[in-house]
Amino acid sequence: MADTSTSSFAAGNVPASNPLSKKLNKILESRLDNDKDMLEALKALSTFFGENSLRTRRNLRSDIERRSLAINEEFLQTFQVVKNQLDSVYADVKAMNDCCQDMTTRLKNAKAQTHDLINQTTKLHGESQKLQMKQQVADTFLEKFQLKPDEIKSLRSTKSGALSQDFFQALARVKQIHTDCKILLRTNHQTAGLEIMESMALHQESSYERLYRWSQNECRMLTAESPDISPLLCQALQALQDRPVLFKYTLDEFGTARRTAVVRGLIDALTRGGPGGTPRPIELHSHDPLRYVGDMLAWLHQATASEKEYLQTLLKRCEHFVRIYKGGMFDADTDKLVIIGATDDTIQDILGHITEGVCRPFKVRVEQVLVSEQDAVTLYKLNNLLKFYHHTIGQIINPDAALLSTIMEIQDLSHRMFFNSLTCTANKLLDKVELPPADLGPTASLLHTMSLLKDVLQCHDSSVVTLENKKQDFKQILSCVLDPLLQMCNVSASRLSTVDMAAYMVNCIYSMQTTIALYEFTDTRQEMLSAQVDAHLDAMISEQAAFVLNRVDLAQIYGTIQQHQPKMGPLSSIQGLDPLTVKSAMNKFDSYLASPDSLTLPQCSLITSSKNRELIKKNSADLICQSYKLMYEAICDPKNEYREYQSIVPRTPDQVVKLLT
Amino acid sequence: MAAGPYNYSYIFKYIIIGDMGVGKSCLLHQFTEKKFMADCPHTIGVEFGTRIIEVSGQKIKLQIWDTAGQERFRAVTRSYYRGAAGALMVYDITRRSTYNHLSSWLTDARNLTNPNTVIFLIGNKSDLEAQRDVTYEEAKQFADENGLMFLECSAKTGDNVEDAFLDTAKKIYQNIQDGSLDLNAAESGVQHKPATPRTTLNTDQQPSDKGCAC
Repeated sequence: MADTSTSSFAAGNVPASNPLSKKLNKILESRLDNDKDMLEALKALSTFFGENSLRTRRNLRSDIERRSLAINEEFLQTFQVVKNQLDSVYADVKAMNDCCQDMTTRLKNAKAQTHDLINQTTKLHGESQKLQMKQQVADTFLEKFQLKPDEIKSLRSTKSGALSQDFFQALARVKQIHTDCKILLRTNHQTAGLEIMESMALHQESSYERLYRWSQNECRMLTAESPDISPLLCQALQALQDRPVLFKYTLDEFGTARRTAVVRGLIDALTRGGPGGTPRPIELHSHDPLRYVGDMLAWLHQATASEKEYLQTLLKRCEHFVRIYKGGMFDADTDKLVIIGATDDTIQDILGHITEGVCRPFKVRVEQVLVSEQDAVTLYKLNNLLKFYHHTIGQIINPDAALLSTIMEIQDLSHRMFFNSLTCTANKLLDKVELPPADLGPTASLLHTMSLLKDVLQCHDSSVVTLENKKQDFKQILSCVLDPLLQMCNVSASRLSTVDMAAYMVNCIYSMQTTIALYEFTDTRQEMLSAQVDAHLDAMISEQAAFVLNRVDLAQIYGTIQQHQPKMGPLSSIQGLDPLTVKSAMNKFDSYLASPDSLTLPQCSLITSSKNRELIKKNSADLICQSYKLMYEAICDPKNEYREYQSIVPRTPDQVVKLLT
Repeated sequence: MAAGPYNYSYIFKYIIIGDMGVGKSCLLHQFTEKKFMADCPHTIGVEFGTRIIEVSGQKIKLQIWDTAGQERFRAVTRSYYRGAAGALMVYDITRRSTYNHLSSWLTDARNLTNPNTVIFLIGNKSDLEAQRDVTYEEAKQFADENGLMFLECSAKTGDNVEDAFLDTAKKIYQNIQDGSLDLNAAESGVQHKPATPRTTLNTDQQPSDKGCAC
């Protein structure tokens, strides 16, 4: 600063060419008032440079330097603090850094360490989920393949032995599980499947056994006249279908109980009647065979129908395709019971068993009636009644049931007894053949037999059997009665003359014809009879014609003319045929023509049927006309050399026909 | 599910009688099937049908024996009166002859059933009003005189059919209710189980049902 001031002094004095002057100029040129630094410096200088003396001027420099030093020292001191503070900040930051670094390291470590843990956790988590899933599966499995405790409880027997609805539900579940196990067996869970199956099978066995015992007991008690079949029992039988043997045994038990009940019912109805004796016991009517047997049969019919209803009630829940096991047949391949027949068959089997019991008491009674009954008509009615009931009861029960075969047997017996009785009557006729009566009419025994036959055929009118049956019966009845009758007639007629025999036979057969003509299915018989009648009638016709010719002496003439042949010469030359003889005979014939009835065989008027009488008359007249025609033609024939033949045979055949018919 | 239609307390046996062609089988068919059978063949002997009804809250099974009207079956059908709790005696309101025969049917019914048997007179074919041959009043009087219950029905339209069968059952049931006393008093010394014939009793003896311990 001092420099500056000095140089400015110099600048005013020295030209610019001189370095000094230059310097001076420079100083002089410099504008102090514009130089702020200079001003500031001077201002600062003025603060401590109070006294302008040599010494002070000499010391100025050092003063300034000293001051500068002090300032710097002060500066230094001040910055020392800052520095210290910065140092401490530094230290802090450093510490923080360290700390952070430490943390980072630790975090790194921790991270490194937890990585495993996390992995493990994830793994565990996964496992736990798997386990949960397994648990669910296992739960479902158990639910599906194990019984709940209360189910087991309901399967176990109670003290009372009673069953409830729960039992059947539990049983159904056991069965379901058992079936489901088959699916298990198809998968990998064979062991489980087998075990469960086994345990279910055990449950099943014990339950079925319990069910069976229960059902058996229930059935055993169903011996009331109309049993009360509880719904539980129906359900039990439905369930027992799975065990065909037990099912069958239960049904057998039922059958036995019902069988006893039905037998008792019949005996009660027979001997005790209804409550208080009304309706009256059936046996009270035992004197009236039809009513007695009819009542028993009606009772059996009703009982059978009722028993069938009970059975249907009992088995209503059993499916139709389920069948019953019969008689121990096993299929070797499947080790299963071979099943035969359907529910209907089952019902029929049991029904057959139930109704079997009454067969004996029934049979004994009816047999007694049949054996002591003599009357053919009653026997026949009984036979028809039995047939009717065989058919009626046969609509409810199978034909192979004992009841039906018993009825059939009895019916056979009644059939036999009936025909026995008929044959017996007929045989009696043959044993003691009556002589034909004088009027050549049917004998009393024949008339009697005919009225019996009529009664028998009559009672078929009110009978209840089918037409086919009737047809069959009639055929047999007719041959049973008519054949011996005809035989008897023949025998009794054997000693008679031809005409008598013919007349007698015509009358007898005619009475048979008229008896059977009223009934159907007798056509064949009637044809046969009329053929026989015709034969006898023919005999009578020719007898009658011959009788007439004989009586007018034309028989001989007619016979000769019939046998005459041209080579034997003219008829008029033959002995016995001379015109005179012929003429006298023709005269007689002519007088016969005047009253034809005068020459009738006495037997002809004994023919009972006017139709037959007429027939004989007409046909014998025809026969006579024919003979006359033959004779007339022979006599008129010129070859036979009858002169005046017109006087011998004055009437033409046509005239004769007119007169005779 | 259990009860079903099979749980009945009583079985009543009915018999249907009357001349041929009065519509006995049609009545039965209408009652059991609720249908009219147009071409009903002649009944051969006897046939039977069942239906369960309810009377005073009691289920009752009706076992109905339908007899043939033809004379030739008379001997057979007579055997079925035995043990009937109800007899439905049917005539045809359009045919007087069937009405005229009622007394003979009634005689049979009275002789062959027991005194408690309820006899119900039915005039069938009430739908054929135009051809009516027997008046309601006349038949009603006949019924009253003989102590019969009476209704005119039509098996064709089903009119009154149900009532005839039900009223009979009600009457029988009523007889059971008060009849037991009656019977015991009337025929003292004779021991018999139920009041009515084979209308047997299943109800009361049930308690043991579940009790067989063994």
